[in-house]
Amino acid sequence: MLLSAAAAIDRLVPEGTRLLAVGGMHMHNNPMELVRELVRRRRGVHRLLTSPSASLAADLLIGAGLVDEVATSYIGFEHLGLAPAYRRAAESGALTVLELCEAAIVHGLYAGAGGLPFAALPPGLELSDVSSANPEHFHTITDPFTGERVMVAAPLRPDVALIHALAADELGSVFFAGAHFTDRLMAMAAKTVIVQVERMAEAGEITAQPAESVLPGFLVTAVVVAPRGCLPTASHRAYGYDEPALRSYLKLARTEDGFAEYLQVNGMAAAGVTA
Amino acid sequence: MSVTVEYSIGELMAAVMSRQLRPAEVAIMGAVSALPQAACRLAQLTTAPGLWFIAGGSGAVNPHLEPLVASSCDERLLDADAVLSLPDVILVEGRGDLIDVFFAGGLQIDVRGNCNLGPVGPWSHPTLRGPGGVGLPFVVRAKRVVIYSMSHDRRTFVERVDFVSGPGFPAGQLELPGGGPSLIVTPLCTMDFDPATHLARLATLHPGVTLDQVMEATGFAPILPAKLDTTPAPTPEELSILRSLDSAGLLRVGAGR
Repeated sequence: MLLSAAAAIDRLVPEGTRLLAVGGMHMHNNPMELVRELVRRRRGVHRLLTSPSASLAADLLIGAGLVDEVATSYIGFEHLGLAPAYRRAAESGALTVLELCEAAIVHGLYAGAGGLPFAALPPGLELSDVSSANPEHFHTITDPFTGERVMVAAPLRPDVALIHALAADELGSVFFAGAHFTDRLMAMAAKTVIVQVERMAEAGEITAQPAESVLPGFLVTAVVVAPRGCLPTASHRAYGYDEPALRSYLKLARTEDGFAEYLQVNGMAAAGVTA
Repeated sequence: MSVTVEYSIGELMAAVMSRQLRPAEVAIMGAVSALPQAACRLAQLTTAPGLWFIAGGSGAVNPHLEPLVASSCDERLLDADAVLSLPDVILVEGRGDLIDVFFAGGLQIDVRGNCNLGPVGPWSHPTLRGPGGVGLPFVVRAKRVVIYSMSHDRRTFVERVDFVSGPGFPAGQLELPGGGPSLIVTPLCTMDFDPATHLARLATLHPGVTLDQVMEATGFAPILPAKLDTTPAPTPEELSILRSLDSAGLLRVGAGR
């Protein structure tokens, strides 16, 4: 179904959502219009699951105080710097960080998408401190085939996933362009999927390349058309990231007052928005 | 008469890293990886023809890199010989036998080659919350790990990291599935690892850098080799290739000579 960002967030992301997954990688393909709507409504979630490398979407939700726990393997801005709101919340202890690695996220999402009870991880991954820091998510069991010890990770089944794609058709099938990162997999694992797109698909656009870059409509709950809605992050094959705008965020978000100013200037100040 | 060509520290490090790569090997790198990407492209055009490299989260295989870009997921990287989906990249990393060289880094790097991109200080209340290690736990499965850092100071080079994102050589009886760290490249020097103790050993000093400078900037005492060489400067050919890739000047950082 085709919804406005306001209606999609209002109807499909309940307050206190247990596990919200947000897609994109680094400063690319963050579904920012959906994220901004969460902030406008002050819609809190219990646990945020990021893609293997999150950026503005996660930092904004954390800075707005809308996240109790974050399950992540990276929140930052690459060459532009560290994530200011994430740093402040994690360093003060206000935010619970559930350490994951890229493998636990991707194989966990495969498990969620395919109905597997858990994900067995490649040997050697137990040597990092990720599993020690997040014991609820990892266990060591005996491999029934070899008798060796093997680390397993919990399946990831987001209640809601917010992702971005280039275009969608009337049936809700969406078409990715450029890299689709873990967004397609995230959507396949989630119960409710909201896809932010740049535009509606042209006739025949999706059926021209259906094998790899499409998410069929039965896996999609709602489509939100938001032209240039990923800014200031990039939207592959549509526009690049707005580096001055990202730098301006990073500068303001260094303090709580500056963060509040960023929300004010970017139309996210007041709660009580109506759908 | 030899001609002195000026170069930046970024260019020197890219040249050093490129010389670690061999023909037809497979290399992989993660976030903030313009430097190893430049090293790989340089190697393809000089000493390692047929090298394959996977540019981080973009999934791009052999991105053409004209120009070099700052973000590892930039869509311009998809101008490449092939593109893997990101989940496919994680499969390749897990197999282990496919990856010859993993380029790694950290906010903290220690004497055993452990890298930390997570919490600095206590895990629950870190003094510095780093971004996180993404795929760094996978370094244990690669045949060689080349560690690079644009900072060489006592905050970065520590006796023991506070959190292991990318494991180096483990203490005690534990064994790595892969080959472990092989080289550290910094703005001051290169270090390799002593085969007997698996502890970092100073290998070369960059031109103009003194031993005292390195010891002052390093929070552990590297093993000192019998003979300390000077890192070979980038050749005019290497510099010419690097500059043709790098119209944005991403490598023109750091005072070289």
